[in-house]
Amino acid sequence: MDYLRSIWECLASICNCWHCTDELGSQGIEPSERTHLLADSVNQSPALRRSNSADLSNDYSQSLPKKDDQNALSRLVQNTAINMINVGALDSHTLEHQEYTDRIKLYSQRLQQQWNNIQHPGFVQKGLLKDVPNHQSYLSKGIPSDDTAQMRVFVQKSIAGVLSIQVDHREAVVVPFEIP
Amino acid sequence: MSDDIKNYFNGLLHKVSGLYVIQITDRDGVPLLRVSNSQEKNVDFALMPSFIPTFTTACDQASKLGLGRNKAIISMYSNYQVVQMNKLPLILTFVGAEDCNTGHILALEHQVDGYLEDMKLAVTEP
Repeated sequence: MDYLRSIWECLASICNCWHCTDELGSQGIEPSERTHLLADSVNQSPALRRSNSADLSNDYSQSLPKKDDQNALSRLVQNTAINMINVGALDSHTLEHQEYTDRIKLYSQRLQQQWNNIQHPGFVQKGLLKDVPNHQSYLSKGIPSDDTAQMRVFVQKSIAGVLSIQVDHREAVVVPFEIP
Repeated sequence: MSDDIKNYFNGLLHKVSGLYVIQITDRDGVPLLRVSNSQEKNVDFALMPSFIPTFTTACDQASKLGLGRNKAIISMYSNYQVVQMNKLPLILTFVGAEDCNTGHILALEHQVDGYLEDMKLAVTEP
């Protein structure tokens, strides 16, 4: 009975792994804890090292019969390692000091290069004509007298409108509470 | 240009009362940008190289518990609060006073997102 149960659990875990593979595939290129950072010398990320189960599968590669089976099995081992909750992985996750400083230098270099090419997103253009492209050409042209006259009429009408506003006093603005 | 960006983040820092530090690192804790309110308390404990990878690992392991992937972890201490946001491959860390308005800190996320997209390019392979 125990034997059957262990087989059943094994099958269930395999099904789970396939399910997870689908999930991983559907996520596409979403960055995760295992996405590679910069290549070359700075690819010794502890997160990668922790989850690198390829070594594990390589250890057993000699006992595997065929290449397809080997790939499938290594994928299975890798997915199982990814899906396993491993609290022990919280230990020993510090970078070497040398690599730490190397990465700081590399990142600052790359950021400097990028920021020279990027339009500062927080930079806000100020000025009345900020929405007008090539405003110099408009400013250099003379203003037609009709437009000036029309603007004068508008301004005079608006001044007359503002002056004609009157407050018609009918009742007190502050009303006392009627406390019995 | 980098001065402009530092000024922008300094402006964000001063928008939230009681916020001490804004730091952007990669997931292993290597800093890309850090602005701090130098007059305030020493909060280096939250910026140690070991603190941020722990967040990365905790997010990764916690996602397997059945609650799904989280976006942020808020840690409250007696004198501080640390808000860490998962912006993989980057990690965004805010350190503030214990009575700092956490909602205000979380609201800064949208104002930082525009920069993070550019910074991600510096961390990942092209």
